[in-house]
Amino acid sequence: MDFINLLALGFGEALTPTNLGFCLVGALLGTLIGVLPGIGPTATIAVLLPITFYLPPLAGLIMLAGIYYGAQYGGSTTAILVNLPGEASSVVTAIDGYKMAQKGRAGSALAVAALGSFFAGTVATFGIALAGPTLSSFALSFGPAEYVSLMLFGLLAATVLARGPVLKAIGMILLGLLLGMVGIDAGSGEERLTFSAMELFDGIDFVVIAIGLFGFAEIIENLENHEARGVLVSKLSRLWPTREDFRRAWPAVLRGTGVGTFLGVLPGGGATLASFCAYSFEKKISRHPEEFGEGAVEGVAGPEAANNAGAQSSFIPLLTLGIPSNNMMAMMLSAFIIHGITPGPTVLATQPEIFWGLVASMWIGNLMLVVINLPMIGVWVKLLTVPYRLLYPAILLFCCVGVYSINNRIFDVVLAAGFGLLGYAFRKAKCEAGPLLLGFVLGPLLETNIRRAMTISHGDPSVFYERPISLVLLIATVGMLVLMVLPSFRRTREEAFQEEEA
Amino acid sequence: MKHLIRNTALATTLLLGTGIAHAEWPTDRPIELIVAFAPGGGTDVMNRTLAPYIEEELGAKITILNRPGASGEIAYTALTEARPDGYTASSLNTPGYLTMQMDRKVRFDPKKLCPVARIVEDPGSFIVQAGSEFNSLKDLVEYAKANPGAVTVGTTGLGTDEHLAMLQLEKSAGIDLTAVTFNGANEARTALLGGHVMMIGINVGEFVGSDHSAFKNLGQFAEQRSVIAPDLPTAKEQGFDVLVSSERGIAMGCDVPADIRTKFSDAVHKALDNPEFQEKAKQQSLALSYLSADDWNKEMPVRAERLGAIWKLAKEQQ
Repeated sequence: MDFINLLALGFGEALTPTNLGFCLVGALLGTLIGVLPGIGPTATIAVLLPITFYLPPLAGLIMLAGIYYGAQYGGSTTAILVNLPGEASSVVTAIDGYKMAQKGRAGSALAVAALGSFFAGTVATFGIALAGPTLSSFALSFGPAEYVSLMLFGLLAATVLARGPVLKAIGMILLGLLLGMVGIDAGSGEERLTFSAMELFDGIDFVVIAIGLFGFAEIIENLENHEARGVLVSKLSRLWPTREDFRRAWPAVLRGTGVGTFLGVLPGGGATLASFCAYSFEKKISRHPEEFGEGAVEGVAGPEAANNAGAQSSFIPLLTLGIPSNNMMAMMLSAFIIHGITPGPTVLATQPEIFWGLVASMWIGNLMLVVINLPMIGVWVKLLTVPYRLLYPAILLFCCVGVYSINNRIFDVVLAAGFGLLGYAFRKAKCEAGPLLLGFVLGPLLETNIRRAMTISHGDPSVFYERPISLVLLIATVGMLVLMVLPSFRRTREEAFQEEEA
Repeated sequence: MKHLIRNTALATTLLLGTGIAHAEWPTDRPIELIVAFAPGGGTDVMNRTLAPYIEEELGAKITILNRPGASGEIAYTALTEARPDGYTASSLNTPGYLTMQMDRKVRFDPKKLCPVARIVEDPGSFIVQAGSEFNSLKDLVEYAKANPGAVTVGTTGLGTDEHLAMLQLEKSAGIDLTAVTFNGANEARTALLGGHVMMIGINVGEFVGSDHSAFKNLGQFAEQRSVIAPDLPTAKEQGFDVLVSSERGIAMGCDVPADIRTKFSDAVHKALDNPEFQEKAKQQSLALSYLSADDWNKEMPVRAERLGAIWKLAKEQQ
């Protein structure tokens, strides 16, 4: 079958020494930043983006993807052992994982987390492999009108799924849309919001905003926290789940995988949302909800499987439609563009080695991560003792070098620093920067597609509801809007996020 | 022994100290070649391929620095502001360089920018889906005459090669086409593949170099057929007055002493004749078309005038 051949092609690409090497580098880096609280995959990938230009396209993408799902593994380690979630997506893992560790079942929790993640990663990778070709032939029938409807849906979904008040999320998206307008408008040749600065003619670079809002701002915020060091690291006993843990964990892993894979595909979804939903889901259907928070193995297995599945499946819309569903995927999108590849249906046809190589590398990377994380766990825990006074200046330097090297100009570094201050202000105001980034990426796409649709139809807006795919998407958008206004839904949403705050 | 080392070091320092002002160009330090576009693009790859052969001719080192942005204006400004000592050169691309001066005041003085050599002239062309009913520009024009405005053309923005070509064809054939703007050639190509636009503009070099089983080309927009596409008829041959091509070359500041500019220009010419380079150019489907500094300088105003006339057309339409 053709599918087998393509998968073989992918494994052939992913198993070359270079690509295998970069896969390992990505997995190691991901675990590293996953273990260290305060440095997330978004910031890391933002810093490393400019460097990938000097790598072959596939190697660069493999490494960046490895960082993303590697962080999901690393984050759980510290969450379980020291109650320090390294990543937002492992916050819920800490609830039951740390309790298990206190009761002397740390090894069991770690093994369940790693094996659950591996299982979920495998399933989600196959999901991408199967969905990719099907979706991408479907994607060719996506014209400007369909893209407009899809993006409206995506932007609205991003507000629903963002943490905190809806109003703040909408504000951030609007700000993102505004920032996306900076530059010379391709349709009319007019300057917009450039303040006559030549450096702004091509708009603000994505990396500048990303490094500012995530890299710089994260460091400023962390400087406020007194180092929570000297935490007791729980003792590690046997690194294998008991029979009883196994029996209880595997259905939770299955459910987590399902929840994660589904939520990863949705716009605005991804690993963090998936893990929160999986946790509340497990708690809801469990026959012993009182055990949750006291060391229930399902509370580790479900979210850990879900965050990894979500991390993988969020690649589906990017690879098939060229649309990033969350800010991590927006970073991946610019990594593709740096190499002159526009992700979308044509990539699968013209450069199958990129798509299949990436998919195959994800599975290999997941396998590597199980090995990296289980036997080498002691090494990662030691890392927590590296003082931040050494770590932060190094990260700051990388940020500056990274931003400067995009266009070789100081202007961008200053701009990124400005966005760093802005990002810090956002954090103080409890505004999430994610929706802003999504608005920034989707805004220009939305605008140009509206224009295209209207030009092609000679100004007739009926294209948006006469084309079936577009109509379905618009109905879904309206449905979501109605849901948002309904008081009962708003209450549930608030409750769902309250758990996260706690 | 220690003394000897120290004395030698001292002597060298002295020598260098007096020598700075007199070191013969171009051996003093590396020549900086500014590329006005992002790494990995057509202009960047061309300059990076050519640079080692110029190095060979000059016996000097060339370093490439990408200064992308504002269609090249950032690079041209940097070039005119650099010290006129012959250690800074820049890529120079038309029609961008010429069209940017028509609409607004640019941040650099075009009189301070002197061409060194034209390297490539890549004609524009129009492509349609392989299964399209159009086989030539004539077919297309007939259809457009019968259905005014129904033909949608994907371009990459106002005043780009494809857009200007479209305007010329409209005027020359007396037809009405609809321009649809895309962010870059890849997006336009995907839209053509999905049948969302009927035709897109693309440079012949890009077309020849890529897999084109899904598309067919209707004609190229140069005076003569390009060396890389000898079988593709020009628009002129088909009876339409459409002349649009992208030129890529190198420029230096006009304040640089004339003898240095001439030496550099000669070195570029010799590098272009190097069979090794020509082999590489063929692999990359570069439409090589050398013009000397003088010839290019003379040709530029003619081109600017022609572009100006089309540009006016574009402005009237808005």
